[in-house]
Amino acid sequence: MSRGRYWRVLAFFLLPAVVIYSAFSVYPLLATIFDSLYLRHQGAPETFNGLGNFYTLLGDTTWSKPFWNAFLNNCLFFVIHMCVQNPIGLALAALLSLPQLRLRNTYRTLIFMPTMLSVVIIGFVWQLILSPLWGIWKLFLQTLHLGFLFGPYLGQEHTALLTISLISVWQFVGIPMILIYTALLAIPDELVDAATVDGLNQWQTFFHVKLPLIWPTIGLVSVLTFVNNFNAFDLIYVTEGALAGPNYSTDIMGTLFYRTFFGNQLQLGDKTMGSTIATMMFIFILIGVMIYLFLIQRRMQRYSF
Amino acid sequence: MAQVSISALKKSYGPVDVLKDINLDVDNGSFVVLVGPSGCGKSTLLRSIAGLEPVNSGAIKIGDKVVNDLAPAQREIAMVFQSYALYPHMNVEKNMGFGLRFAKTPKEEIKARVTEAARILQLEPLLKRRPRELSGGQRQRVAIGRAIVRKPQVFLFDEPLSNLDAALRVNTRVEIAKLHKLLKATIVYVTHDQVEAMTLADKIVVMNQGRIEQVGKPLDLYYKPANLFVARFIGSPAMNIVPLTVSGKDTAKTKSGAEIELSLPASVSKGDQITLGVRPEHMTVTKGKGILTAKLDVVERLGELGYAHLESESGERLIAELRGEAPGQTGDTLGLNFAAKDIHLFAADGTRL
Amino acid sequence: MNVKRAISKTSVHVVLVAYTCLALFPILLVIFNSFKAKRAIFLSPLTPPLPTTFDLIGYNRVFSDGAIGTYYMNSIIVTLGTIFFTLLFGGMAGWALSEYKFRFNKVLGLYLAIGIMVPIRLGSVAIISMIAGLNLINTLTALICVYVAQNLPLAVFILSEFMTQIPKDLREAARCDGLSEYNIFFYIVLPLLRPAMATVAVFTMIPVWNDLWFPLILAPSGGKQTITLGVQQFLGQYVTDWNAVLAALSTAIVPVLIFYILFSRQLIRGLTSGAVK
Repeated sequence: MSRGRYWRVLAFFLLPAVVIYSAFSVYPLLATIFDSLYLRHQGAPETFNGLGNFYTLLGDTTWSKPFWNAFLNNCLFFVIHMCVQNPIGLALAALLSLPQLRLRNTYRTLIFMPTMLSVVIIGFVWQLILSPLWGIWKLFLQTLHLGFLFGPYLGQEHTALLTISLISVWQFVGIPMILIYTALLAIPDELVDAATVDGLNQWQTFFHVKLPLIWPTIGLVSVLTFVNNFNAFDLIYVTEGALAGPNYSTDIMGTLFYRTFFGNQLQLGDKTMGSTIATMMFIFILIGVMIYLFLIQRRMQRYSF
Repeated sequence: MAQVSISALKKSYGPVDVLKDINLDVDNGSFVVLVGPSGCGKSTLLRSIAGLEPVNSGAIKIGDKVVNDLAPAQREIAMVFQSYALYPHMNVEKNMGFGLRFAKTPKEEIKARVTEAARILQLEPLLKRRPRELSGGQRQRVAIGRAIVRKPQVFLFDEPLSNLDAALRVNTRVEIAKLHKLLKATIVYVTHDQVEAMTLADKIVVMNQGRIEQVGKPLDLYYKPANLFVARFIGSPAMNIVPLTVSGKDTAKTKSGAEIELSLPASVSKGDQITLGVRPEHMTVTKGKGILTAKLDVVERLGELGYAHLESESGERLIAELRGEAPGQTGDTLGLNFAAKDIHLFAADGTRL
Repeated sequence: MNVKRAISKTSVHVVLVAYTCLALFPILLVIFNSFKAKRAIFLSPLTPPLPTTFDLIGYNRVFSDGAIGTYYMNSIIVTLGTIFFTLLFGGMAGWALSEYKFRFNKVLGLYLAIGIMVPIRLGSVAIISMIAGLNLINTLTALICVYVAQNLPLAVFILSEFMTQIPKDLREAARCDGLSEYNIFFYIVLPLLRPAMATVAVFTMIPVWNDLWFPLILAPSGGKQTITLGVQQFLGQYVTDWNAVLAALSTAIVPVLIFYILFSRQLIRGLTSGAVK
């Protein structure tokens, strides 16, 4: 094949993907970061502001208060997912991977169902269930003799974020469950047999043999949770609106970004500050991914069969 | 070390019977090999002895104890798996001592046993390495070491040499034989390779489709196979088979009508279908006439030893051992001779006459 | 020993059944109640719709203005369009990366791979400017462009992995037979990739169908809403009309459920192969 033809063929195959990806994924991100270095003036062209926007975002109270609020809320959101969603996913995966479990695929399919549905739907469904008007949740708690725990969770500052986090956990448990389940299936049967012959019971086999071998997957699940949580928006928008009430208690990075950029009845949209927030989000996510790549990918080497 | 005795063992997966009425005795300190084609049930039987598979009926005794209801760890067995089953995240030392940690054995005891096993198997320089860093043969030794450390009543080996290359297989086979003598261990060993069975076993158990076809010393099975299946399974290349019809008191005819003189037992009568078996090593090829006539197809030379592949007049494919040159060319008609004492006769149902 | 085993076996099933109920109950509750009259919804929410309580009034309201049909069409167009272009361009790029060893092969691969982890939403500010500049606000084209860009990295990665498994001999034989590079790709490689493409398709479909963010910022009106956005807007409008709300939710849920039950195996396979990177 001649050199000319070679490059033509390459171009044909590569260009569409590279162009679309660069135009709609890479360029916008770079443009956003670039934008964050500018300051917006009413009715005048933008001026270069260096890192000024960032100082404003992090330091100036009008901006920093909502920012740190959103950031801390997001962290809490993440922590709840790590502490509730992933352990439950792990436990379900462990149960599903038990040998000779009947109806295994049925359980797996059914438990995974909420994950398939749109967040919009899930958000609304739970809003209805938790609504004091309908009283379903109240009924549920009362049958467990926990009726005193009921309240208008989504409307109360101190319970709203927790509730939304748990709704999100409820929806997405399927993902760690499936990923960890697949990893558990990859463990050779003979290894489990050897552990049985060595005298380990089910629990011990799980903790000492299976768990060490699925750490890479758990790491992957963690980083996916991290990226998804710091990118989240839909659930809060649907249940609490763009203002992330009550009183910004459910505001996270995604909603702050949306509100800042598009504006709402309380403030005008601000392109450059919106870009600044987006850049901050990007930096956070990048840090998280870097930590994963360096810490966990390296350890992965130790566990190949 | 203890003996193992199995009585009336039955096991089925749903409607399929995988083990049908197994009775077997393994003497204390003996090396018993379960051998047979894929699917015959040998691995299932081994795993049942180990306790990794439940059984439907029958009793398994290790020593004096009936162990049917005991978990594998309580049966005092140790198992060496086909793929070694070493824990990838632990080094050799930890792999070997792993099981003992959970039996709450004191640390010094564990260290002593691991060191001893490592010495026997020459694993000392490898103790701190991980399975990933070891060769196949080394991993196999670690797996054996893990079994030794448990000080079991019975060792169970599940096709341990299948994953090794040919040369390594021969070496490791010898190692296992030496280990048996050293430890005076009771060993139950599964393989599909009859060469391993013949060389390692005190007693061979030939299995087929969930049943035991014959149990006996290797040479007993070789010289006196109890049925056609065992006759063809033991010995390589396989025994030559010629179907015959009884034509008289001491004669039988091949499919092509050639008559052979045989000493037939009284139980057969004229017209019965029987099978003649002669091992290739007992068959000689000659230019002149022989008991059977056959056409030479292919000659395989392996050096001094060779095999002549022939097709008999009656259409059977036969193999005869050659020492030196073949007495003819491809396509020639040659005679096949064999001594009366080397003849095996089988009835229509396959049992030995 | 057998008794102990039986107990632990049943307890495993008890736990799994309990969690399955927890997972399914909210969804089933909504679907059941969407078929009931308003009184029945409030007085006896837990009972399934009976002949006495059966009522389609909610559905009437949802389907009355005909917009739902349009929204479904929009979602279907966007989803199918995205899958088509993702598979086509992703396959082509994956092929080039796996087959041809050119100088910046690895760099390009890395460049595309970065996109797997980085969320495209963060560039929304610039995306909106660009789309507005191209006069594509409130079009399905804009959505397709964005979604394809979002899904290309993973598609390229998965498809190129599958392509390395196609025996080299097959391609060499085709070359000897005189096929051009383009023909080799379209007639030999692409047909062999069908299972992988099914996996990628299914894996791409769900997030695109369910996405709220981009329809919200790029195509929020003009009859170009996707079903997800449409339902969200409808719910916002009819918040006090429980029948309508429940019916709308069910309308959004049931097609996805049916689709999921039919394709659950492929879906889950797609998810796991995507994550093993």
